[in-house]
Amino acid sequence: MRKVAVIGAGMTKFVRRALETPKELSWHAAKMALDSCELTMDDIEATCFGTAPDAFDGVHMNGEYASDGAAGWGKPYMRSYVGGGTGVFNPIQGWYHVASGMFDVVMIVAEEKMSSFYPHAQAAFVTIFDHTTERALKPNLLWIFALEMNRYMTTYGIKKEDIARVSVQHKRNAAGHPCALLGEPNITVEDVLNSETLAWPVQRFDVSPVSDGAVAIILAAEHVAKRLTSKPVWIEGVGWYLDSAYWTNRDLVYPRYVEYAAKMAYDMAGIKEPRKEIHIAEPYDPFDYKALHHLEGLQLADRGKAVELYINGTAARDGNMPVCPSGGLLGVGNPIAAAGLMKIAELFWQLRGEAGERQVPGQPKRGVAQAWGDLMQVGTVVVMGR
Amino acid sequence: MTLLERDPQAPAAWRGNLPVTSRYTYGIAGEKFFRALKDEGKIMGAECPTCGITYVPARAFCERGLSELTEWTDVGLVGELHTFTLVFVDYDGRPLYEPELVGFVSFGDGGIVHKLEADPDTLEIGMKMEAVLKPKTKRTGSILDIQHFKPVK
Repeated sequence: MRKVAVIGAGMTKFVRRALETPKELSWHAAKMALDSCELTMDDIEATCFGTAPDAFDGVHMNGEYASDGAAGWGKPYMRSYVGGGTGVFNPIQGWYHVASGMFDVVMIVAEEKMSSFYPHAQAAFVTIFDHTTERALKPNLLWIFALEMNRYMTTYGIKKEDIARVSVQHKRNAAGHPCALLGEPNITVEDVLNSETLAWPVQRFDVSPVSDGAVAIILAAEHVAKRLTSKPVWIEGVGWYLDSAYWTNRDLVYPRYVEYAAKMAYDMAGIKEPRKEIHIAEPYDPFDYKALHHLEGLQLADRGKAVELYINGTAARDGNMPVCPSGGLLGVGNPIAAAGLMKIAELFWQLRGEAGERQVPGQPKRGVAQAWGDLMQVGTVVVMGR
Repeated sequence: MTLLERDPQAPAAWRGNLPVTSRYTYGIAGEKFFRALKDEGKIMGAECPTCGITYVPARAFCERGLSELTEWTDVGLVGELHTFTLVFVDYDGRPLYEPELVGFVSFGDGGIVHKLEADPDTLEIGMKMEAVLKPKTKRTGSILDIQHFKPVK
């Protein structure tokens, strides 16, 4: 397999309600990515697009609809979709396009416009539940997360005020992100604990916001990447894995879907001791406890101990292993597919030393990004290094 | 047993639905295009200075090179009939009371699909067709501000 590098990236602001159509959001990000590495559409040989359920954008076959903005015109083009995991799977799809030798330069675009769904994107999820055993109860995603969070907290005896530190740190980190929706430099644990309860133990500030936005990156084969940039960031490992479709048959305390995906990616990257070899982590954080869950699945903390990374400062921007220096979904926003790809773009900027106010010190060499989705059972992982 | 015969032992089915309500925005280009249609009664196109393609309705960007389209022009209300059809059933497959004429009227390198008002026997591909707009006070900024296209006399 050929080596594959990220050579450019672009990102729109993540906002509450965008005027732009999904096509136009995609176009802004794709154009910025092209400009960032001084390429034109003629240089792009294939395009991979990612977007979550069509219901959000309110356009059936949204991948095809948005294709003109997503740099799909006249290209071999395909949309991939693994729910919330899409944004990190999307570059994996691009990676095998290039690694296989089929294409030298590939555009990756992820877009989501959740504000179309009225009154709230949450209702788009009712039909993901089994129509015979679950839907009659009118479940929503908060149920699952609240049930899972309670089980996780209780199993390990983790306090809610400690979990709230995750939300506080991510929202504070996002204050330095020019595209962020919820950067809050002065937010405190008390603010999180005093926010509205949605489904106990989940409170308003434990959750990332509904948002609109798009992100794009450009992948290139080694010989092209070395010609175009002095700072290629390599995709060193990729992994993805699916657990049971039944949430009643999954381990709610430990995400195996992340563990297996991470091990696949680490093996490919030749990583034996992730806690020493990973310098920046961008775990998927739609909920604060979920970042902890995922850090454990990524083998970056012992089971039930991820919260200590936040308590002892390891996860801070200037700590030994910064976690979500971007601000994550909790701080930057959560336009589903775009949020996952934002994590890949963040590693690209961090590893090149181009993250501005968000730059982590110490010239990090390697990072991991992860997302999670489908029916809450897919893990997608990418390891990047320079 | 034929397929149409109902098995009395079969378990009951029930009806469910996918409850979806969407709130769409016009977008950057749509906002401008529909304002011009509503307020000025104009159909706007946008030409890409790089590849020379004229998009009608006007768009924000060129799909071929992704450059921004800033040169918008009024393309007039008369286009050319590119193709047409006479529709006899609706999308649920039910017969229509009156068959409906639908056509694709080309402008620039694109065009508009809309209802036609004409005697089907007089239509010819390639003929000039003119947009008939609703009166200004009735226009809302919708593609239906164009009532239909009719042959140019």
